[in-house]
Amino acid sequence: MSSSHGTEVFLNRQTLEAPVTLAPVPEGKTTLIRLREVSKHFGARHILRGITFNIYKGETLAIIGGSGSGKTTLLRHLMGMLRPDDGNVMIGDLDLGRATPAQIDSYRAKLGVVFQSAALLGSLNVYENVGLPLIEVDQRPADEVHERVVAALHRVYLPASEILLLKPASLSGGMRKRVGIARAIIGNPEIMLYDEPTTGLDPVTVNGVNELTMELQRTLGVTSVVITHDLEAAFKIADRIAMLYLGRIIALGTPDEIRANPHPVLRQMLTGSTTGPLTEAYRKA
Amino acid sequence: MNTRRHTTRLDDQLERLGAAAVMEGVGRGVMDRIATAGRALLLFIDACSYLPQARRSLTAIIRQLEIAGFGSILVLALIAGLTGMIMSFQIGNELAKIGPDATANLGAIIGATFCREMGPLWAGVIVLARVGASMAAELGTMAVNEEVDALRMMNISPVRYLVMPRILALVIAMPLLTTIADWVGLLGGAMIAKAQFDISLNTFMSSAQDFLKGADFFSGLFKSVVFGAIIGTIACDRGLNTTGGAEGVGRSTTDSVVLNVIFILLADFVLTALINQVVGSGATNV
Repeated sequence: MSSSHGTEVFLNRQTLEAPVTLAPVPEGKTTLIRLREVSKHFGARHILRGITFNIYKGETLAIIGGSGSGKTTLLRHLMGMLRPDDGNVMIGDLDLGRATPAQIDSYRAKLGVVFQSAALLGSLNVYENVGLPLIEVDQRPADEVHERVVAALHRVYLPASEILLLKPASLSGGMRKRVGIARAIIGNPEIMLYDEPTTGLDPVTVNGVNELTMELQRTLGVTSVVITHDLEAAFKIADRIAMLYLGRIIALGTPDEIRANPHPVLRQMLTGSTTGPLTEAYRKA
Repeated sequence: MNTRRHTTRLDDQLERLGAAAVMEGVGRGVMDRIATAGRALLLFIDACSYLPQARRSLTAIIRQLEIAGFGSILVLALIAGLTGMIMSFQIGNELAKIGPDATANLGAIIGATFCREMGPLWAGVIVLARVGASMAAELGTMAVNEEVDALRMMNISPVRYLVMPRILALVIAMPLLTTIADWVGLLGGAMIAKAQFDISLNTFMSSAQDFLKGADFFSGLFKSVVFGAIIGTIACDRGLNTTGGAEGVGRSTTDSVVLNVIFILLADFVLTALINQVVGSGATNV
């Protein structure tokens, strides 16, 4: 452990896994999502262990962490697909853990979700995939659906006229991801959730997706939560970054604060070193 | 001597432990099947609650009908025809031992067997193997690729969008397939009756017509409707509950076929007993 980072204080395991304390809401910021002591077990496995933090309206929060740290489980709580065993996930006044199916539906109507695999329906073409929420849920007229699908595709820099009738299998990985983003934004969401948006893409496409995420946040003013392994992307797009380790948020701050944070888990994550607490945690897992 | 006695006791204990493990395995297997049946029943009820919205899923229903119905006709006709021919050979030979008058009843026996049992059962087996397995694999792939989650996040119920059209298509297709199996099975039987026992097509069909009642035909169709609902529900349940990537999809597909065979035979037994109770000992008055 390097003393140059002042990490001696972290030698104790309890301090290593200690969660960050909840900071007061900065002036001018409004809290949109509040997580309080959120815990989740799957059998004997304790995936989330008392997650507490705020997500501010209009910000982009990146959640980073090693494999098995609980990132996807946390995201599924934000999607309303999992209910916490303990604690609360509050969206405004709505407690997702205790919400009725109708309240969950109403919350999801404000959500846009970009899945790791894009999750486009293989049997539908691009037009049907992007327009699916408008066709199936809102039951909008065909001409309005067409107009909005084309607009959404243009927004993610895709040539609508060329790809509208193509099936997802004939698109590249980057194009599929963009189509997934177009589907997520077509309902004008207030909150965007991204699950590993750049995984498996080449560097140029990664950059394109990152810029697109930033532009959507700028132009649509949405609140975004990005789950990612990609540190470069996290530092580029996020207003704040949270580090998840063994089911706890052990660091949370602006990209500059995270860069300067001496926590050994964070240091190992940032440097990519093969020795350190993260590797120990994987071995135990 | 002591060592030998000790070894024997150890063997006994191991044997008992083995038996206990087998019993535990069987018990767990039975409980799993019961749990699956319970979950599938809830899925079926959920799917039925979306029937008033079936018009919205008309395209999906027609597509599933095409896959389930037209795609299964050729193979079903082949199997039903061959079964009719084999039965005609076997039963005809036995009837011939009784006398030439007895062979004249061949049409009645084959007709009753097909209308009551073989028609719906063969249609069920072909559809569960061909269509049910494919449904479980398709929905399983969608589940592991997060497509089902994506539907939920768009507030589109996977039960309305994926399950209801599939079950409805099978419920519509199965009676049609069963009717085809009944007729092709009868024709197969009639061909062998003519070639082997010199029974004319007219005599064969008249025998079937005189013997069979509407209840024979409709009880078979009723069974086929139930089989269609079972196949669609179990295949969709297995598919939607798939986890574990490609391996999980394979497991769901196999589970779907195995469970469907079990539940279709169980349903056939229960329905046969019920129909016998309602109509008498057999739909026709033998």
